[in-house]
Amino acid sequence: MSQDQTMQGIRAKAADAIRCQSTVLPSGLTVLCRTMPGYSTVHAMYATAFGSTTRRFTLDGKPVELPAGTAHFLEHKMFESEQGDAFDLYAKTGASANAFTGYDRTCYIFTASGKIDENLDILLNMVGHPWFTEATIAKEQGIIGQEIKMYDDSPDWRLMTGLFRCLYKDHPIRDDIAGTVDSIAELTPDLLYACTDAFYRPGNMVLSVAGNITLDQAVAACRRAGLDKPAPDHTVTVARNSPENDPPQAEMQFSMPVNKPCFALAFREAPIPRGDVRTEMLADMLPDLVCGGLTSLYRKLYDQALVNPEFSGDTVSTSGCCVIAFTGESETPRAVAGMVREEITRLRQEGVDPELFTLVKNQMYGEILADLEGVEDAAEALASAHLRGNTLADEIEALASLTVDDINGALQSMLSEDCMTYVEIEPQNQ
Amino acid sequence: MFERKQLAPGVYLTTLDAEKFNRCRITIHLRYPALRRSATDAAVLPLVLERGYAQCPDMTALSRKLARLYGADLGVDLGTAGPDRVLTVDICGIKDKFALTGENLSAEYADIAFGIVFEPYLVDGAFDPDAVRIEKETLDRRLQAEFNNKRLYCVRQARRRFYGDSPAGIELGGYRADLPKVTPATLKAEYDRILSSSSIDVMVQGADSARVADLLLQKLEKVQRAPQRFASAMAMPVTEPRHYTENIPGVTQAKLCMLFTTGTPEDLPSISQLRMAMGVFGGSATSRLFRNVREKQSLCYYCGASALRSTGVMMVDSGVEPGGEAKAEAAILKELDDLCRGPVTEEEMDDCRRSLMSGMEALGDSLGGLESWYYGQIARGEALAPPEYGKVLIQAVTAEEVRELLNSYHYSVCYAVTADNKEVAQ
Repeated sequence: MSQDQTMQGIRAKAADAIRCQSTVLPSGLTVLCRTMPGYSTVHAMYATAFGSTTRRFTLDGKPVELPAGTAHFLEHKMFESEQGDAFDLYAKTGASANAFTGYDRTCYIFTASGKIDENLDILLNMVGHPWFTEATIAKEQGIIGQEIKMYDDSPDWRLMTGLFRCLYKDHPIRDDIAGTVDSIAELTPDLLYACTDAFYRPGNMVLSVAGNITLDQAVAACRRAGLDKPAPDHTVTVARNSPENDPPQAEMQFSMPVNKPCFALAFREAPIPRGDVRTEMLADMLPDLVCGGLTSLYRKLYDQALVNPEFSGDTVSTSGCCVIAFTGESETPRAVAGMVREEITRLRQEGVDPELFTLVKNQMYGEILADLEGVEDAAEALASAHLRGNTLADEIEALASLTVDDINGALQSMLSEDCMTYVEIEPQNQ
Repeated sequence: MFERKQLAPGVYLTTLDAEKFNRCRITIHLRYPALRRSATDAAVLPLVLERGYAQCPDMTALSRKLARLYGADLGVDLGTAGPDRVLTVDICGIKDKFALTGENLSAEYADIAFGIVFEPYLVDGAFDPDAVRIEKETLDRRLQAEFNNKRLYCVRQARRRFYGDSPAGIELGGYRADLPKVTPATLKAEYDRILSSSSIDVMVQGADSARVADLLLQKLEKVQRAPQRFASAMAMPVTEPRHYTENIPGVTQAKLCMLFTTGTPEDLPSISQLRMAMGVFGGSATSRLFRNVREKQSLCYYCGASALRSTGVMMVDSGVEPGGEAKAEAAILKELDDLCRGPVTEEEMDDCRRSLMSGMEALGDSLGGLESWYYGQIARGEALAPPEYGKVLIQAVTAEEVRELLNSYHYSVCYAVTADNKEVAQ
């Protein structure tokens, strides 16, 4: 099958699978809906483009600086209102609700099989009517302190935090998403209200729904929540996290109670401009081409018991930051890191095997279709694409059009040793 | 919509409707009695099987074959069903209609899954020595890695104290000390035992079930079979509560695992009663543990309850401030005692019902959810019924039944993983 046939095939076959409807309300809120015939549940995600790496902004001309962990703290607090806890309201509808915070977003979700209108009302009202007091903030600091400690015991989490610290001197990605016990102690109601005024404006948010629901139903819920009218305007300027050019810290080592050394070999890449789907796809693909399960390097590392089966590469991309990291456990972590570096050099010189490239592309196509099968994944995929500044159709299109020459071109500038770091966790003496 | 039929003694095929999904799925379950002496062989076997089969013996070639099938997912896993083991091979991939060049993908999925189960790659009548050597090392690493995840480690340490030498205590992941005894021949013997003694259940979703049935019967022609009955339910005897504390320097959040036993396998509760009892006690955001121990008292970041019907065990695990283990333990026991003695309100029963029923409704929207629902019924020896029937049963559970069920548990083992005292003092 030629490249052209593959491209046309992907476009034609995926067209139905990625269908969705959307509208932008007068308040500025974007509503996305994927109606899924035959499904009985609905998943809704109400998301704001405000995550842990947004730390400096001006609100109506007034500068605001946030301590680490603010977005995550806010996520916890949004479930509380003067009338009580949103979980209590969801308990009356049977919905399963949750929320999570990432580097560039905070998302509030529910899955429900009935009382969809009521559940949408709870979701939109709880996020639309923030309520903070000194007392409720103090109580939450205890719970979040426990959460921070839980992550402190995770070697994978500590590894990621370590490599961000090596690669970036100023970028807020250096700090844990949940912050520290000390940083969240600085939070006040005024600071949290400044954040909701700036980032929980409808124009900065997206409501994405999938399953047994129509766009009209979602829009009607927005209308009931007053989101069909122009929203009070605030002038918000977010200080962009600038790209960093200084050489990174070459390595970092620390110890934890683990059985075997854990390691990360990571590369700082040029930040990917918002909406540049092709570069996003290339960055996602690269780790699979270097040491994914289909490569000869992975096989060698696995068969020689040099790494754990979960050894893999991953890409993290957010405003002002892009990192490709290879992480795993090994008795000989430096040797494994050396083999990964050699493979990158070889690929740069010899080029990627075209068959491997096509297989990885096939896999990505299958993954996109699989993601659209469940209501949760579908709503999340729609919202994620929107927050990245594109659509699922753009992603399919970009995937279809990528060629092996594109990836070989990317390899000439990406995964550069000048922007590389190595982090290792040694087993702590018991 | 489902259909289950017997194809041969101890061999069943269940077809589930999957019209609305983008993907199809074939799952093969082999349930067999666990043995202590071959537990480590049983743990290595899925790793070796997943590498390839006679038609495609090379691990990388198999990965590439799956990638060619648009990234089809192949899984080979070992699980428990009371004192029994369940070896599961499942494959899931996009439907034929999405294939870019008209390939018959579902036929290929079936060939791979049945190849893995019935036609392993053998060398001189035993498993490939290289594959066995490599996968023994993989299992060894996995067993050691348990320590890295302190929550999992704490739960497993508690289970070890709780089950002791009972059949339900045979380690699912095998034993490091037994790894040197695993050979290509012992692995083949365990494979033969599983194939011969297991009850086989094949679940088909969105693929051609007639072809799958033919393929299955064809493969079974070459196998000598003597399927065994499912193991009976069991329960550990009631004892005085035993407390264990393990100090690990560097731990920042202590883990606490509490295990309870019914003491008898008689009068098993229905699965609906069990789900409601766990939901009210500690299995949901409206439970007593979540509301009172986590939210009101801020004693832990997570605190949840779960139970297994076939082994009469209830578990509460939580993450707590080092030094706060005793306080958290007391708070958890108080919540249980309050439920056992005091009223269980209709409000909390209703909250729990709604949450469980909503979850059951959601099962129908997931291939994996539906498969688990129906195989769960098969594993419990129940007649198959759709999730809608489960909702009816949940509605019928009373507060008194929940209270009685929680009353049947006796506190048995408490295991704590924490930082040492010096560190806590700092």
